[in-house]
Amino acid sequence: MTIVCVRFQLPSTREALLPELLGLLEEFTPVVEALPPDGALADLRGAERYFGRDAVELASVIRVRALARYGVDCVIGAGPGPMLARLALRDARPGLTCAVPEAGEREFLAGKPVGALPGVGTATARTLCEYGLDTLGRVAAAPLSTLQRLVGARTGRELHEKANGIDRGRVVPNAVSRSLAAERPFDRDELDPGRHRRALLSAAEELGTRLRSLEKVCRVLTLTVRYADRSSTTRSRTLKEPTAHSAALTGTAYGMYEALGLQRARVRAIVLRAESLGPAEQASYQLTFDPVDEKIRRVEQVADRIRAKFGPGAVKPGALAA
Amino acid sequence: MPGFTHLHTVSGFSLRYGASHPERLAERASERGMDALAVTDRDTLAGTVRFAKACAKAGIRPLFGVNLATAPPEPPRKERRRTPVRGGAFVDESAARVTFLARDGARGWADLCRIVTTAHAAEDAPLLPWDGNRGDGLTVLLGPASDVGRALAAGRPDRAAKLLVPWRAVYGDALRLEAVWHGRTGTGPGSLRLAARTVGFAAEQRIRPVLSNAVRYADPGLGPVADVLDAARRLVPIDPTGELDSGEAWLKDADTMLGVAERIVEAAGFRRDTAHRLLEQTRATAAACLVDPEDDLGMGAVHFPEAHLVGAGRRTAQRVLASRAAAGMVLRGYDRSARARRYWERMHHELDIIAHHGFASYFLTVAQVVDDVRDMGVRVAARGSGAGSLVNHLLGIAHADPVEHGLLMERFLSKERVVLPDIDIDVESARRLEVYRAIIGRFGAERVATVAMPETYRVRHAVRDVGAALSMDPADIDRIAKSFPHIRARDARAALEELPELKALAGEKEKYGKLWELVEGLDALPRGIAMHPCGVILSDASLLSRTPVMPTSGEGFPMAQFDKEDVEDLGLLKLDVLGVRMQSAMAHAVAEVQRASGERIDLDAVEGGDPATYRLIRSTETLGCFQIESPGQRDLVGRLQPAGFHDLVVDISLFRPGPVAADMVRPFIEARHGRAPVRYPHRDLEEPLKGTYGVVVFHEQIIDIVAIMTGCGRGEADRVRRGLSDPESQGRIKVWFAQHAAERGYDAETIRRTWEIIEAFGSYGFCKAHAVAFAVPTYQSAWLKAHHPAAFYAGLLTHDPGMYPKRLLLADARRRGVPVLPLDVNRSGVAHRIELVSESPVVWGLRLALSDVHGISETEAARVADGQPYASLLDFWERARPSRPLAGRLAQVGALDAFGANRRDLQLHLAELHRGARGAGGGQLPLAGGRRTAPAGLSDLTSAERLSAELGVLSMDASRHLMDDHREFLRELGVVSARRLREARHGETVLVAGAKAATQTPPVRSGKRVIFTTLDDGTGLVDLAFFDDSHDACAHTVFHSWLLLVRGVVQRRGPRSLSVVGAAAWNLAELVELRARGGLDEVAARLVQPEPEPVVREAKGTEEAEGAVGKNGDPTGGRRIQLPTGYELHPWADLRPAGEDPAKVRKLWHQSPGSAG
Repeated sequence: MTIVCVRFQLPSTREALLPELLGLLEEFTPVVEALPPDGALADLRGAERYFGRDAVELASVIRVRALARYGVDCVIGAGPGPMLARLALRDARPGLTCAVPEAGEREFLAGKPVGALPGVGTATARTLCEYGLDTLGRVAAAPLSTLQRLVGARTGRELHEKANGIDRGRVVPNAVSRSLAAERPFDRDELDPGRHRRALLSAAEELGTRLRSLEKVCRVLTLTVRYADRSSTTRSRTLKEPTAHSAALTGTAYGMYEALGLQRARVRAIVLRAESLGPAEQASYQLTFDPVDEKIRRVEQVADRIRAKFGPGAVKPGALAA
Repeated sequence: MPGFTHLHTVSGFSLRYGASHPERLAERASERGMDALAVTDRDTLAGTVRFAKACAKAGIRPLFGVNLATAPPEPPRKERRRTPVRGGAFVDESAARVTFLARDGARGWADLCRIVTTAHAAEDAPLLPWDGNRGDGLTVLLGPASDVGRALAAGRPDRAAKLLVPWRAVYGDALRLEAVWHGRTGTGPGSLRLAARTVGFAAEQRIRPVLSNAVRYADPGLGPVADVLDAARRLVPIDPTGELDSGEAWLKDADTMLGVAERIVEAAGFRRDTAHRLLEQTRATAAACLVDPEDDLGMGAVHFPEAHLVGAGRRTAQRVLASRAAAGMVLRGYDRSARARRYWERMHHELDIIAHHGFASYFLTVAQVVDDVRDMGVRVAARGSGAGSLVNHLLGIAHADPVEHGLLMERFLSKERVVLPDIDIDVESARRLEVYRAIIGRFGAERVATVAMPETYRVRHAVRDVGAALSMDPADIDRIAKSFPHIRARDARAALEELPELKALAGEKEKYGKLWELVEGLDALPRGIAMHPCGVILSDASLLSRTPVMPTSGEGFPMAQFDKEDVEDLGLLKLDVLGVRMQSAMAHAVAEVQRASGERIDLDAVEGGDPATYRLIRSTETLGCFQIESPGQRDLVGRLQPAGFHDLVVDISLFRPGPVAADMVRPFIEARHGRAPVRYPHRDLEEPLKGTYGVVVFHEQIIDIVAIMTGCGRGEADRVRRGLSDPESQGRIKVWFAQHAAERGYDAETIRRTWEIIEAFGSYGFCKAHAVAFAVPTYQSAWLKAHHPAAFYAGLLTHDPGMYPKRLLLADARRRGVPVLPLDVNRSGVAHRIELVSESPVVWGLRLALSDVHGISETEAARVADGQPYASLLDFWERARPSRPLAGRLAQVGALDAFGANRRDLQLHLAELHRGARGAGGGQLPLAGGRRTAPAGLSDLTSAERLSAELGVLSMDASRHLMDDHREFLRELGVVSARRLREARHGETVLVAGAKAATQTPPVRSGKRVIFTTLDDGTGLVDLAFFDDSHDACAHTVFHSWLLLVRGVVQRRGPRSLSVVGAAAWNLAELVELRARGGLDEVAARLVQPEPEPVVREAKGTEEAEGAVGKNGDPTGGRRIQLPTGYELHPWADLRPAGEDPAKVRKLWHQSPGSAG
């Protein structure tokens, strides 16, 4: 019962707060793994001895500190391994930490649906349910060979172990690799490609600005289009080079949008997400002989400075001004 | 100022485009002082007949035309756009549209029909190819939507001039340029600049311009409705920032149009008074379009197929008919019977009537069709008043002998009647399309067409389309649409106010703003066109020049754009070929008996008066029997206790809204069981009334009474009978009747009493010929049920003819001791089969069919059946080649149980076989014990999961009744089973439970809305009635739950007639769940929840109680629909109620996540 999984209740506008919250956890233990966009795993094995409290008590301390210092509430699950901590998190509520007892993993898992297990996606879960293996208890009881026939050798073995409470996971300290998202909802079913593109432009601009202010670059851009019937389409594209440059992000976003070829789709929202973030100073940048590129970046820098001084709405692309 | 004629007006028949009905347009045109009006619908002439009739009524001259998408001389290359990943592509409306008006009488109309037919010839959206774009009798208006208009809008008069050349070459002087001003800005359609350019261009090109308003709706203010229609047509939401309808496209009066003309000519740079020249041109164009509805459309005339096609090549049709009828006499032996003279006289009398009207070809045509159908081996029977004609019987069209059953020719056709007679024939539904093909093959595609049936907006579709246009949440739209019963769109708001089950929705009514108004605006507008399920037009070779024909989607039958009534008005001979599922079911049952046992049954020759059959009918266990399976009929059969064919005929006639309303049922039953004396108003009337104990049941009896009392002859008497339904003429008839009867020497008292009977009867009764035609299959189906139950159920399940879900038939089969054998890939056929279960006593079982498996295709089912038997799972997989999901479903319901005991293991093996087939090679199946598949250690489906799988896959609880799982709980609650309910006392309060089998809100005598529901609990059926005092509490639960628990009071009306009047209803599924989760206490907590407790209906003086409720508890404020017969109807009765059709329920409430379904 030494690993905790924390989920901060961060509104998407305050995602940038995550690194600081991770810092808060690092006051207890150096072994902290970020689970973007709003969670983290922390290994409290040393901390328990150091602070003389068990994980559940430490969880209360973490929550109080997060609330006091950042005004952010959090939900915490605790367990002997990362997987169990994550599963415990599902049962936890603010103020009520859920902990998996040391020897009671199997009982704890038995009633859980298979889909709750990390690493079991909807497809695997559907397959398992088709064969009546809808709870982890039943999965644990099924013969290993059958599981392997069902979902493949490796997945089957892992599934079997996990369902039996054998948690081989470790908390791996990592730097924040987070993502930033910008959402543009429409107040009615929007079909006009012009307005879609405006939304994309404005979202890409926002992402670029936010990335540059965090001094990050992103490697992958993801476009999610949400439709009126609550379904959505998602497309991801890896950028030629990691960048925070708005024009590059916009171009990629447009490319993904055009590839969808939407005509009559009733679009209710467009979400653009910058993923695989990394520090800006480590990004490579292909120089060209084209002075235009250079100029645009120069303009962007100036615009950023103006925004810093006069507020985020001070400068924007002409297409968005109207 | 003389009137203005709108040359370009569309009605609601322009699907999802026009917003006003043709009647409304004609009315408004007349009100606004116009003398003529054109209707030029988009791609269709379907509204023409209604428009012509409306114009005749409104006193204006109709002009006929059509607006068609036209292809240019050289079709442009189409660029392909990327296929959208979501939402589909835009509806292509890029084709230029041109208005054509019929000018030269019949020739113009024929041209119009021809170009419409040509435009529809291609597979995709209607488009008139250039080489079909001809017509000497047409006037062509090139408006803003035409290619010329578009070039002008684009500011390219040079291009417009070039595009005009081919038009001018074809139509020459009949070409007009159409200017439209809708007050728009810019140069697009409807803008002043385009209108001015058009007029200027016309002057330059020396083509006459006309002014139109491109009318889409009759009245101002309907712009938003037009927007919704546009959105529904293009399948996109309304974009409030985009170009909306201008709101100007209404039927403007002459003065306003003069103003428009003045603005246009001024903008074109002419003097203001040139406007009069523009209007003059318009008027002249309208005046030249002379098509007369009577002479040129052929309204009122009759066209039969040419005589040589019906076997009358050298002789006249009448001669042929006479000799065929005589041959029929000899063939059936009537000429040798004791009453030969009566038969001969009757035959000659009928032939005289037929000759009088010249309908001989018609009879020969129908006889030809019936002969052809019979030769195909399809069961066929005549229905309707045609069964009353001896000639029809002699020609082999009708089965029943009209002389023996006392059916009258006059009810069908008489010298006094001038309308076209109609003979309807019933064929096996499964082979209906085959029959159509045979008819087309016999008479040729140029003489035969099916009839169209416009699908109009009712509330549910209107809500869906308006909601989608207004960008509402699809989940909300779906919920709102589904909560409405199937009512007219214009009643949407009234229903919200008044219907108790819509109370929740009414609460959030304001949230949806304009929705309701727009929904009501769409009322009854056609939204699509489909093939009418039974009408076939038979005509001579001129059909295509009188009717526009389009191919139906799917089968590709030629279909006239006119609907049933239009076709009659146009004098086209229509033959109703009805597909009757019961006929298919019986055919299947007979075929099964022959296949399995070799016994040949000729249903049409089955001995009448079979005691076992009538015992079955009297026991009221008539589920699945034709016409007598509904709850009301079972009740009536129970009270009437039929003992012979005549009783069945009476029973069917009595179970109509009319007789039920006129309370003919009670006196009849009293008299029949000897509880009341039989009375006749006069002994002369004993003859016609004897068979029905002095109660008037049939039309034929009224005809006879009137004929006897007044001596006017039966033909005239039939006309009098028809007049009875109209209150106005009823008064006249009364005087006439009294006068003539008095002349014949009847005393005043007799006349008064007879008239009372006639008056009470009104027009309610039933045509005996209909009833006889119905009673034949009723008896046949009951006979099958009594003697070959397994085959009977096999037929029913295969062709699903009835009002009940299949699972109910299965429950009935189990109750009647027919073993239900599970699906088995080695034994089941494509259709349901019978199998010998035991030799002595001989018991036949019912084997379920492959075709009932959800998602199985016909070819797959046939492949599985053809490959039988299979030795192992691998063998099955390789030879039957089922799709992976299908194989999974088969395993779930146990169809593969022969290959291994555990259904989950089987699934796993199937998955591996599937993977093996995809990948290379595929592993060897681990086999153990020969053909059985090795176990994989998965737990088998539990019994509940099996049941759930059966419901999910077969929609039937095949292995046992689904209520069996709840016996324990129902015992705890003290629920009375259907079987035990039969012993319940009248007035006892009971709890009943079961799965809902059917729900209806039929019109009832008291003019109230009563919800009738049938529950099935495995031991039998419970018929429930909810009166309107319980609706507030129960209606929603009853409509929207599948498993019900109901508290009610037993009502008994006879030894076999029993129903429960519901007072409170709960969703049983919910209670079962509560029981499983929290025990009985939770259930109790649910039951004490403050459900608005309705007053349990007292069983005393119903009239009184109903009166009181009408005043106090009636949300409609006593509003009733007054039918022309004086019969009152609750405004919301007789509708298909809300909620899921129980036949479609595929899910079990407790479906566990462990089974896919």
